[in-house]
Amino acid sequence: MTTTNPFESALEGFPTEIEEGGKAYRKFPYMPVGEAVDMGHDENGTPLFDPRIFDSGEFARNPYPYYRILRDHYPVFHDQLHNCYFVTRYEDITNCYFDEVGFNTIPKGSSSGVLGNTQLELSGIEHRRRRNIYGRHLVGAALTKRIHALKELANELIEEWWEPNNKKDIEINKETNTVTLELGKAFANEFPISVVAQVLGIPQEAREQFTWWYDAMMSGLGGSDTHHEGLEARQDLEEYVEELVEERRSKPTYLHDENGDEICLDIISELCHSEIDGSVMSTEEITSFIALVVGGGGETTRGAILNLWYLLLQHPEQYKQVKENEELWDTAFHEMLRHSTSIGGQPRHNTFDIEMHGVHIPAGSLMHMVDVSANHDEQIFKNPEDFNIFREDLYSGKILRSGHNKEGQCSHMAFGVGPHLCPGAWISHQETVIGSQILEGVFKNVRINTGRMPKDIDGESLAPIGLGSIRELWLDFDLQD
Amino acid sequence: MEIDEADYEEEPDAKPGYRTYEVYQRERVGETTNLIKPRQLISDEYLSDPYPLVAILRENYPCYRDWLSNCFWITRYDDVTSVFADDQNFETRPKRWYLDSANFGRDLWKYLPVQWAYQRKIDENIETVSEEAISSIQDPSFDLARNYAARIPLALWQKILNITLDQAQEFAILYLRMQRSARWNPQFRHKGIQSMNELAALLEPVFNERSKAPEDDFISAVAQLELPNQPPTVQDLVITILELDHETLHGGLANLWFNLLTNPEEKEKVIQDHRLMKFAWRETLRYSAPTLVADRFAKQEVERFGRLIPKGGLLRCSSAAANRDPRQFEDPNTFIIGRKDLCQREPRGQYRADGLPSGIAFGLGKPSIHPAVPKERPRSRYALTRDAAVTASLMLLEEKPAIKIAKGIEPRLTCPEIGEMHTCWELPAVWN
Repeated sequence: MTTTNPFESALEGFPTEIEEGGKAYRKFPYMPVGEAVDMGHDENGTPLFDPRIFDSGEFARNPYPYYRILRDHYPVFHDQLHNCYFVTRYEDITNCYFDEVGFNTIPKGSSSGVLGNTQLELSGIEHRRRRNIYGRHLVGAALTKRIHALKELANELIEEWWEPNNKKDIEINKETNTVTLELGKAFANEFPISVVAQVLGIPQEAREQFTWWYDAMMSGLGGSDTHHEGLEARQDLEEYVEELVEERRSKPTYLHDENGDEICLDIISELCHSEIDGSVMSTEEITSFIALVVGGGGETTRGAILNLWYLLLQHPEQYKQVKENEELWDTAFHEMLRHSTSIGGQPRHNTFDIEMHGVHIPAGSLMHMVDVSANHDEQIFKNPEDFNIFREDLYSGKILRSGHNKEGQCSHMAFGVGPHLCPGAWISHQETVIGSQILEGVFKNVRINTGRMPKDIDGESLAPIGLGSIRELWLDFDLQD
Repeated sequence: MEIDEADYEEEPDAKPGYRTYEVYQRERVGETTNLIKPRQLISDEYLSDPYPLVAILRENYPCYRDWLSNCFWITRYDDVTSVFADDQNFETRPKRWYLDSANFGRDLWKYLPVQWAYQRKIDENIETVSEEAISSIQDPSFDLARNYAARIPLALWQKILNITLDQAQEFAILYLRMQRSARWNPQFRHKGIQSMNELAALLEPVFNERSKAPEDDFISAVAQLELPNQPPTVQDLVITILELDHETLHGGLANLWFNLLTNPEEKEKVIQDHRLMKFAWRETLRYSAPTLVADRFAKQEVERFGRLIPKGGLLRCSSAAANRDPRQFEDPNTFIIGRKDLCQREPRGQYRADGLPSGIAFGLGKPSIHPAVPKERPRSRYALTRDAAVTASLMLLEEKPAIKIAKGIEPRLTCPEIGEMHTCWELPAVWN
């Protein structure tokens, strides 16, 4: 074809097909952990940042070098593909969390999803009132008196391992005297959910059904193909809770201490008898609340137990010291949460038009506070990619709503800070540490069964935790004499 | 609907424990939406043929909460037009906002001398420009998309701005780069911002000259404006050019000829009666609008379509869905020139005229609320663009009535990238 189009050169770059560079789902190569894919540079050498990386497999397994680029070059990153802003530095996130008025939690029209309208989406006095109803069940004296119940539940679960034909796929090899198990299936999946069910006051006989609802609701959150099941599970749960609530309204039940004395009402009974602005909570509200406690208290603690063991067993010298000094379990728990927490961050919406780091953010924009990035902010934590329970810059004392940032020590952001600090922080801490201590007593010469573990891209080394928690943890240990 | 598995293999499955909590948050929805996944709306499938996907939204989820792209999809004709007409509640963010260049310059389109100059130059030159494009075709086969549809708007810009061919060639490169960049892709955006600066540098000498010695063109009209605060600058000129439509004439011309050549019996109707070319253009904008969506942001919390839209919430208005809404158009998935349920003149108010829907073409601004064009104003951009496209197309049809698609070629419409126009980028044709 010969033509004399004077604008031919302008059309040279014109695509005729869907462009590789413009594809919505660009394939990013897997990189060695800690290294980022080259996404291009500007003329000053500043790396460009492609928002498609957030949806990639590479990002899920190796997120930290990308958050480092954001912290270094785009502390507020406007992601036009996902219509949101990412805030990645520790200091900025802390400031936003404390400013409840400027950065609100009102969801973008998500009032009736699988979980329902939950506490996470409330602000101000309404948030505080509700929180005060159940908060005390999860902390302080009420919890301390119930430590015995945590221990009993953990021991019960471990006892089941030795029962013939149990459902936990425990492999006992008498010849080599070893036990092989997957820690999630054997313990971590069930333990937190049993604790939650007990605190809530779900009757023992309904626990199994409860676990099923929990699984269905959790998977219903993840995407639309299982969403329908999630909603059905919620509907079932709501019907069940309705009866339970009616029962508890007339006949409240209590949590008990070691001696069988009443400590306080269980959470459902408490909610049934609490008034907010002069009226009792509706069954719908109570169901949403239960759904949130279940979601917040199950999945996260499961991840914490698995991640803690995965990291400790990969750092045997640190594990050895933890075994020798029980107090180090607390420190290890906090360092694990700093290094690899299950919760990526929290969404906020700016109430006013603002400018942060030179970026204008119109009011009402979705802003992601990336807690995992704050936990790896090298301005706060030295060598943040290292798992080191002896690091001196991490505060690992009592979890405070006000956070901790003094004398060279900062709290990690896994539980957030400010008004929305995770109310389950303390109970989750107790579950993880007590559960792990009990496991440690059973695990003789414990080691990772590397043969069964998911591998990284080289096909040899163990897969990194990445975002969230590892999916399974296969362990071998020796039978006790 | 088949999804290319290869595109998803490295994506994590939606299982508990594998996705971050923020993804849970984003994907929570108020109703079951099992028929579609948000990622399909930014998939290659959407880029090549968006119509089946947006039809799922329109018929099932008229205000679909898309947790991945954090927006609400509005897909029914009356819903889309109601958002467009509602300035009290919804705002448009200009292209320069997407380019992080809100302060680069001002958009001076609202000044009438600028609009008059634009209209005059298009009207004066469309015939010459079309004739040059048609006569430059030497072979009996040629690519109609590149050498006709893409060429004519660029050649028109040379005339509108009244610049030399050398300048126009450089302008064309920078202009297209700038127009393509106003989206999420960081590589493109970076190039776009560079191009804006280079365009300003390219046009500055001409702009300065015409400030002192005006001629009859767009640049002079901008340069001669008397503005209250600060005199016009070359940056204002660049922004005014950026904010003007670039998709409709180029994409519309390509799509018009794609539709004519792939529907020979409809083309025959136009050959029989040239007056139908105008209707073919209107049907093209309905049946295959080059701009698939337009975004509007809620200025305050507002209840619409059974949902509470929060302040700042993004409504993604789909012309692809609305223009094929069976509530408005009979047999909406067929290209029918002169259909009875489509108004055949430029739209008014809520994209209607003569009691009929007009089809929605984004990029040309809001339809006028006046029943007729006031005398002191130039024709709307709808009319201007339509007249230019119809003139150019009739000239081609008269010159080459036997034109048809080259043998063995199956042309198609695509968006090369999310947010870009949906058009035919390659249309090899023969006239023998």
